[in-house]
Amino acid sequence: MDYSSIIKDNLISLNYFLPELLLTGLIIVLVIADLFLKDERSPWLSFVALAGCVVVLLSVIAQFDLGSRSLFQHMLVVDPFSVFFKLLFLASAIAVIFLSIASVELAGRPVGEYFTLLIALTLGLFLMASSTNLVTILLSIEFVSIVSFVLATYLKTRRRSSEAGLKYAIYGAFSSGLMLYGLSLLYGLTGTLNLYEIGDVLASRDSNGMALTLSTILILAGFGYKIASVPFHFWSPDVYEGAPTPITAFLSIGPKAAGFAVLIRFFNVALAGEPANGASQWSALPELDWPMILAVVSAITMTLGNLVAIVQTNIKRLLAYSSIAHAGYALMGVVVLSQDGIYATMFYLAVYYLMNLGAFLVVIVFQDLLGSEKIADFKGLAWRAPVPAIAMAVFLVSLTGLPPTAGFIGKFYLFAAVIKAGPAFYWLAVVGLLNSVVALYYYARILKTMFFDKAAEENSISVSPYYVTLLALLAAPTIILGVYWAPLQKLATNSVEFLRAL
Amino acid sequence: MDFTNIAFYIFAALTVGSAGVMVFHRNVVYSAVGLLFAFFGVAGIYVLLAADFIAIVQILIYVGGILILLLFGVMLSQKLTKVDVRTESMQLVPAVVVVGGVLAVLLLTISSTPWKLAGSLEYEPTTKAIGRLMMTEYLIPFEIASVLLLAALIGAAYIARKN
Repeated sequence: MDYSSIIKDNLISLNYFLPELLLTGLIIVLVIADLFLKDERSPWLSFVALAGCVVVLLSVIAQFDLGSRSLFQHMLVVDPFSVFFKLLFLASAIAVIFLSIASVELAGRPVGEYFTLLIALTLGLFLMASSTNLVTILLSIEFVSIVSFVLATYLKTRRRSSEAGLKYAIYGAFSSGLMLYGLSLLYGLTGTLNLYEIGDVLASRDSNGMALTLSTILILAGFGYKIASVPFHFWSPDVYEGAPTPITAFLSIGPKAAGFAVLIRFFNVALAGEPANGASQWSALPELDWPMILAVVSAITMTLGNLVAIVQTNIKRLLAYSSIAHAGYALMGVVVLSQDGIYATMFYLAVYYLMNLGAFLVVIVFQDLLGSEKIADFKGLAWRAPVPAIAMAVFLVSLTGLPPTAGFIGKFYLFAAVIKAGPAFYWLAVVGLLNSVVALYYYARILKTMFFDKAAEENSISVSPYYVTLLALLAAPTIILGVYWAPLQKLATNSVEFLRAL
Repeated sequence: MDFTNIAFYIFAALTVGSAGVMVFHRNVVYSAVGLLFAFFGVAGIYVLLAADFIAIVQILIYVGGILILLLFGVMLSQKLTKVDVRTESMQLVPAVVVVGGVLAVLLLTISSTPWKLAGSLEYEPTTKAIGRLMMTEYLIPFEIASVLLLAALIGAAYIARKN
């Protein structure tokens, strides 16, 4: 066998791997810089991390011109689809660094490990979005999981935080075990680890539907854990509540979006037919009705998330259940197997980034001001601290999916994609619509508490200009994208292409 | 039945039997010893599959490293050796039904599926091939694993140290 050609291919692939290399470099720089810092709590490392992220951002933007290309013997891929998600992850990482700098919760904790792990998590997310081989899929998911466990436990002296990390790790081990079993069944059926070859093998011969269904359901355990869909959502309320809030914000966006990226790629490359000549809709393998499996998961996920959210009294737990529900909404776009559906899911995840991050930022502000995460303590806050309360109103209206916010446009695209795909999934659209009404109830309840209930104290609370700026930076696009969403639309339309076949 | 088959069934029985001891025994130390034999059984099956390197690594890392660490942990924390580690909620009937159902589905699937078989085995050293693959086709998984281990080490050191 000619090894030199493989080595040559790997060397060429390195040119298309710049963002990941830079992130790895940044991890090492952070570790070494930490050694030279006298004060473990010095803010310098956060500036290094930020500067590094900006450099990586530039290198990711440059990847848009590369088109689609398979790298490193088809282990990874660079295509507009993965670049879109990389942008989303970087935007999340940068925002979370900003949240962490000012966070009272994290004050006094060593920053070296924190930012190193944050960047490592980002690297893991990058790899998840571009994996095209069962080995790299598993490794990158484990990468993200293991780093997340540590970050969730970062306030290790606090009981809640340790509990969060432990629960995350146990559920994580369980779901990766299931996924690994599913992957091994798939390997046993096809004899290859490469997603494209798996797709070819499964399409070319009648395979046994039973083994395929079983393996798909098991693999879905791993993906479902990452996007927090039923029945693999149990970890999320406890982890969201116990983890430091900036990390909670990151976990609710980054790994969730990465889970969607890997799920969309896996199902559409390995288990779906190719769209005939640029058709915008395609079909699943005849022996495996995975769109129906995903539709049921989507419907149950959004219903359970929304119904349980109603009874929550802690805002972080409420946002955890709402985040479960949103995973259900975003799954609707994957179910319909169309260009429009994937586009809608991507658009929704980008919008979700803005509004969910914004909501968590308000939680951080209130935590710092009141020292409480209880919704009952938010009474009359609108009159005491109007800026975060109004920003919260914007984010919650957007999360509900009402105009004139970005959330409305995101939901509109999702529903449109489901309706357009034909009557088979009308029921899913109806379930989604009913759920939006339920969601309105509990989001509105928070607004009512903040705006109409009488406050226990009357004095106004001042919010630091730093937080006001961050709130404005997140709230403004949430509204602007609700009226003028063409830029995001253009970005998502250009990114919906992923490498389907070698 | 040839020698390989007999050996396979011995190793399989060893693995399943000791795994049973591990799960059902009340005492953690016994469970750990059960795990030890389960690891040995799996290593034996690897040898039969002509995966010599994996078999040795299985013993070196799982038995020599992880299990010894686990035993030390148990023995150093005195309370653990005497505690009945089984969970308080014993739902025997639902558990048997669920586990039995899963087992039935798995057995049915495994027996009814036309698996893609590897063909005949050749017993020869695999280390050279593994080394080559790690530097060529599986370069990126190898590198990802190394960064993953670095991050895990940093995280473990952070959690373990005193503030």
